[in-house]
Amino acid sequence: MRRLVPVPTEASVSVDFEGESVPARQGEPVAVSLLAAGHAVLSRSIKYHRPRGPFCLAAACSHCLMRVDGTPNLYACQVPARAGLQLQRQNSYPSAKVDVFHAIDWLFPGGLDHHAMFAGVPVAERVMVKVARHLAGLGLLPDGVPPQRQPPEVLQTPVAIAGGGAAGLAAAEVLSAAGVPFVLLEREEALGGRWRLGPPEAGAPATLTVGAQAGTVRLHTTVLGLYSDGRGRFLAAVATGRDAPRLLLVRAPRFLLALGGHAQLLPFIDNDLPGVFAGRAVSDLVRRRGVLPAEAPAVVGHGPELRGLVQLLTDAGARPALVLDTGPSPEAGALSGRVLEAHGRGRVQALSVEVSRRTKKKVSCDAVVLALPPTPAYEVACHAGAHTVFRPELGVFAVQADADGRTAAEGVYVAGDALGGTTAALAADSGRRAARALVREVAA
Amino acid sequence: MSKALVCPCEDVTLDDVEGAIAKGFHDVESIKRYTGFGTGICQGKSCLNTVAQVLARTPGVAPAAVLPFTPRPPLEPTELGVLAALQVDEAEAPSPGVPPFLGAPVAALRPEEPVPARADVVIIGGGIMGLALAHNLAKRGCTDVVVLEKDYLCAGASGRNGGGVRMQWGTEANIELAKRSVELMKQFAGEMGINIWLRQGGYLFLAKSQAIAERLERNAKLHNRHGVRTEILSPEAARELVPQLTLKDVALAAYHPEDGVIFPWPFLWGYAHSARKRGVRVETFTHVTGLLRSGGRLAAVQTDRGEIACQTVVLASGAWSPQVAQLAGVALPNQPHRHEILSTEPLKPFLGPLVSLLDSGLYFSQSMRGEIVGGMGDPREPAGLEQGSTLRFLGRFARALTEQLPVLGKVKVLRQWAGCYDVTPDNNPILGRTPGLENLLQMSGFVGHGFMMAPAVAERMAEWMVSGQADDLFSRFNLARFSSGTLEREDMIIG
Repeated sequence: MRRLVPVPTEASVSVDFEGESVPARQGEPVAVSLLAAGHAVLSRSIKYHRPRGPFCLAAACSHCLMRVDGTPNLYACQVPARAGLQLQRQNSYPSAKVDVFHAIDWLFPGGLDHHAMFAGVPVAERVMVKVARHLAGLGLLPDGVPPQRQPPEVLQTPVAIAGGGAAGLAAAEVLSAAGVPFVLLEREEALGGRWRLGPPEAGAPATLTVGAQAGTVRLHTTVLGLYSDGRGRFLAAVATGRDAPRLLLVRAPRFLLALGGHAQLLPFIDNDLPGVFAGRAVSDLVRRRGVLPAEAPAVVGHGPELRGLVQLLTDAGARPALVLDTGPSPEAGALSGRVLEAHGRGRVQALSVEVSRRTKKKVSCDAVVLALPPTPAYEVACHAGAHTVFRPELGVFAVQADADGRTAAEGVYVAGDALGGTTAALAADSGRRAARALVREVAA
Repeated sequence: MSKALVCPCEDVTLDDVEGAIAKGFHDVESIKRYTGFGTGICQGKSCLNTVAQVLARTPGVAPAAVLPFTPRPPLEPTELGVLAALQVDEAEAPSPGVPPFLGAPVAALRPEEPVPARADVVIIGGGIMGLALAHNLAKRGCTDVVVLEKDYLCAGASGRNGGGVRMQWGTEANIELAKRSVELMKQFAGEMGINIWLRQGGYLFLAKSQAIAERLERNAKLHNRHGVRTEILSPEAARELVPQLTLKDVALAAYHPEDGVIFPWPFLWGYAHSARKRGVRVETFTHVTGLLRSGGRLAAVQTDRGEIACQTVVLASGAWSPQVAQLAGVALPNQPHRHEILSTEPLKPFLGPLVSLLDSGLYFSQSMRGEIVGGMGDPREPAGLEQGSTLRFLGRFARALTEQLPVLGKVKVLRQWAGCYDVTPDNNPILGRTPGLENLLQMSGFVGHGFMMAPAVAERMAEWMVSGQADDLFSRFNLARFSSGTLEREDMIIG
């Protein structure tokens, strides 16, 4: 774990991590600051108190939930570092480093069946309800009461775009060129998503730009859902950034949902050890944050992002300890097989894999990087009434749509990874096709 | 260690998922409920597809039957304080909400083999009522029973309620039923081998208006006469129970410490398992398409998997009961009304009782898992079989909740959903024989509290059906009361 780019003095701050002063770069997610400072364990899991460290860095897992300035269960990967920020780990006693409740994990190696445990055993059953209640839950109540939030901002537009990655951006480009007004919502501080921050891909579009004349782009704006009321449908979102969080409602007759995908976890033994990272988390660390999370990582997975990640890590100075293609049709010459088990106490130290029926290998490594196709973000499309289909070859639910991204829900289009992720170039293509169809619709 | 995690948020392992599939849970919604996967802070973002991959490998599961669970808004954990700032037009009726309600069962999940050609009893509805009745009938030796459920178990109101259990009611009949239900709930795990996590933290009813305060006082006296030790508390005394409450404008409170909350889902699995073990057929994903009349009786129940000739039909379809009764030409006065509900991030225990403000219909409790689970009635909610979720509800609920408990302002909502109350004109159930159609038995109209009443009602009903001895419950709450009898109104309805 090291910083590839030193923190400039003017951006250098310290955050308070359970009484320890940790150096950070102003504005970077505190999960990154802690990682860069060598802190692997940021939380303890809810039931077995297993140690956890950052995994997806995209607010789509639970591994980095911390108490931040007295507020429980915040994603440390989404909290910008600033001087004096108070960070505490949760759900552990006496400390997250040595948590006595981790004994539950060891005492129940086969898992703890909450349905059958002590069911009907007279006294034990009642004691269990009491004990379980006290063990349950993650954080403690927040310290303070927030100030009253501002009423929502409401925007009206012919086309609302959710997501400013390759698909959303390419669509915005087409709409701009055709003079069709739109509102684009992006959770991050900048547009581009995976195209900018994911594993580099051969054939990815060189540039994507949004013409400012037609559209409104809102950064730091997280989509919550596609709702409706008496006046029609709208995207509900929360805008954060520098100001206090505030609801934003975008009313539109047509929607393009390009919310990408979520990090997939491979189900191998101890796959939740600190040091197991989603591939896009690693590319984000290297490309955006200037942090190299491992010197000798095992890179496993399949699809176009596997090669890109290996290249990115190698270029950054790492020496992958293992590259394993776990897909159904591995590339020629690649080592293929499946992952069996991660090893290590408190963090990854080795990985066991099966490379042929009889051959098992245990490889020393300081991280495991899962380069897997993302699982499509189908949720908001389904809110609107779109259907999904399970694609066995990818192992994911993809949103059902025609060639233009048109779904079963009237006026709702989908583009990019939500259709079953492949490459940034294909995501951009699907965004352009959907936008062209939208231009025709608006004109008609 | 040595665990392969599928859902790290809730610590659900690959073994847990494979175990649930081996137990016969072959649809993602059921696996979600049985294992708890996808119910944590990420709401299934990192685990749903892994579960689908495991299910898709299971012999006998068709690819078309691998479907995702209904994604519940919001997509990201959202602060209650932010939602409370939504400006809601109280004069406007709520919209149907999202996702759009798909009433028809999914054909791909429907079992291929036909239903049995005949049975003594066909129970329409595999919710808590129907399953508890099947269990009680089977226990009494009546095992030639088929339960028909159009969806997965827990799909209806039985799987969508807040799990509240209380003895504080406004009528003698409901107080006695609830008392018996709590007794049965205490024995449930022993008899069924599955935990239901009854936690008796009490119910704390708050009253703002004079009329509601008087109602609570009047009802407390009635409770005391029936051995239910409800106390009337001053706002200060109520604050001792929940120190974080503001108790703004609250006149008084009623508290009964033996009320509580349970975990609803295992009830259904427990009853279903017990009934099946004794020979009852519980048929899920099976839709009733017709009721065949012959003279003054029902001769058969028609389904999308064939016809079942039978002696007795029990209508236990909750909010869908009027629709099903219509198939036999019977008009029921019940009306479905949506009630929305939500759940927050899990917090360490701080809230003992379930708190309800009767003036607005707000209620909230802390589940065994630590989430704040709560809802609130909407006076503008029209009648109808809607189960969608609205932003309006999030706004109204968040405002009402943070007004009573401001410390929850920064607590985040993880998911929202809705279910239907099955509302009758007097807020009491419809039980017993159907006038003019003697072998159609009614078991509906529980107005949002069927879950807690089911153990006791099903026990009485099975006894009445098997023994043939008269029971006041089935004449007092007979359908005929709406045309000829006198109505006794239940006034302790939340929402």
